Amino acid sequence: MSILQIHAQPSRTTVWILSWFLFATGVVSYFWVSRGRHMDNPDDRVMPTLRQMGQAFADATLKPAEDEEASANPEQQSLAAKIHSSMLWKDTMATGRRFLISMALLLPAVLLGLHMGMFPYVGSFFLRFVLFFDKIVALSLLPILFIAFGIDELAKVMLIVVGVAPTIILDAFNLTRGVPKEQIVKGFTLGAGDFSITYRIVLKQIWPRVLNSIRLNLKSVMLFLFAGEMIASQDGLAYRIALLRRHMGMDTIIPYVLWVALLLFLVDFGMRTLNRKLHPWFQEA
Amino acid sequence: MATARTMLDEKTAPPSHSPIAGTRSMICIQDVVVEYGQAGKPSKRILNGVSLDIHPGEFISIVGQTGCGKSTLLRLVLAEEMPTRGQVLVEGSPRKQPDRRCGYVPQKYSLFPDRTVLENITFGLEVTEIGIFGSFSPARRVRRHEFRSEAIGYLRRMGLRESDAVKYPHQLSGGMQQRVAIAQALIMRPKILLMDEAFSALDPGTRAGMQRLIKDLWRETGTTILFVTHNPREAVILATRVIALGRTAGDDDGANVVLDLSIPETGDELEIARQVRRVEQSTFPTGAESDEQTGAPEI
Repeated sequence: MSILQIHAQPSRTTVWILSWFLFATGVVSYFWVSRGRHMDNPDDRVMPTLRQMGQAFADATLKPAEDEEASANPEQQSLAAKIHSSMLWKDTMATGRRFLISMALLLPAVLLGLHMGMFPYVGSFFLRFVLFFDKIVALSLLPILFIAFGIDELAKVMLIVVGVAPTIILDAFNLTRGVPKEQIVKGFTLGAGDFSITYRIVLKQIWPRVLNSIRLNLKSVMLFLFAGEMIASQDGLAYRIALLRRHMGMDTIIPYVLWVALLLFLVDFGMRTLNRKLHPWFQEA
Repeated sequence: MATARTMLDEKTAPPSHSPIAGTRSMICIQDVVVEYGQAGKPSKRILNGVSLDIHPGEFISIVGQTGCGKSTLLRLVLAEEMPTRGQVLVEGSPRKQPDRRCGYVPQKYSLFPDRTVLENITFGLEVTEIGIFGSFSPARRVRRHEFRSEAIGYLRRMGLRESDAVKYPHQLSGGMQQRVAIAQALIMRPKILLMDEAFSALDPGTRAGMQRLIKDLWRETGTTILFVTHNPREAVILATRVIALGRTAGDDDGANVVLDLSIPETGDELEIARQVRRVEQSTFPTGAESDEQTGAPEI
């Protein structure tokens, strides 16, 4: 039996094994090479062992951050209090705050795309400009943004907005234009006006697809956020990774990278679940 | 230039028992030309000087070959599209965009996919009587309850069950979707109902049922109906008047009315067959078959 058959039907067990195979291979290969390097050089810092990474992650999670004021007796603190004052918690909160502000700022982008798609005058006014802006590499604007907005939060948030907003605007625009003309005509014949049709028919229909589009752009959002944090920041997950790179702190960097991946996975999962709950018609259709 | 009227095979006056006799036009289409053009290319003429008077309460079927401008004519009446020349008057006045005087049932995308059956039917009542800000008023719940009762009544009239009210359009069959679309349009009590190949995608059995339903609804409500179809038999069976569009001069000159035929209400199969043959001869003069002549369903 050839494995390259279009009509092949692998069993559930085979699918499970195949889907986890590369993960397992990667993990096993890493620790195999790591073990070899540590046998040659017990002080190797390039490929830390599982124990070293576990210890570093525990320190990042349970020990107070450097800038945290020393409490009376850290040993007597509750687990929640320890986590709350830890480096990982503070970095996660700083990055999360910037991430949420950026996501909130994408809402006007959706509305702009909607209005561009619905109202020809608005579309004519903005489309060419947005298309042009979409072609600018956002990271190349980083120096300009830092000069214009300083190195505070605003510059980092603006980087995300400049990097992702044009994509979201154009996505919302195209989705709006993709709503069948019959639906809009139907709205008029049922007595709806221009804005009723825009918000009660079109926005409702494109919203789950827009959420999907934002979800698929999460990685871009994080990419721009990390670029901003690595270059000019005093806290945040990317700041910490950049800082630890100078000290070859791979035992902390690798768990941080995995932590970021886990957070993004959870946000992605949350958005998918929310979309499914809010729009049952979209998932079933 | 020969006008539409001079090219008609036959123009029969409306029967004396018709509800339309002696009334002024509901829709007046005056010497309408529609051309589509692209920059740098010669424009293509779709309709060439079409003139029609449609009276209140008429059931008009518009037939013709694919691409002859049937749907364009419907869009003109709907005011979704404007003529290149000529004018279309509804109740004596021109319009700039579709409004609630015309109900609309297209072949596809006839329902809002994000709303349940009940929400689809009551949508028009909600937007016109409650509006966005009215949603917060205390009287809202009472009005919504009334809308719901009215919608359920329409649902039953369309042969659907109350339990279907909570379903989404994709959970319904094609025939059920079109029933809901008709209810959605009729609940607004439009003066004109425009149906653009509304039954084309249905199987013969469902289609026959829908034909019976629309005919009964027309008798009950007296709404003026414009029904676009490929099927000459369906056109004759349903309508009080059949208008056939076709190209008389050549492919580039656009279509015009080639037949304007009043259909007396009769159950006589021979008479129906005779009328169907006349429509077919006018619409498909070269022997080309309509898409749906074979196995055309009956009422």
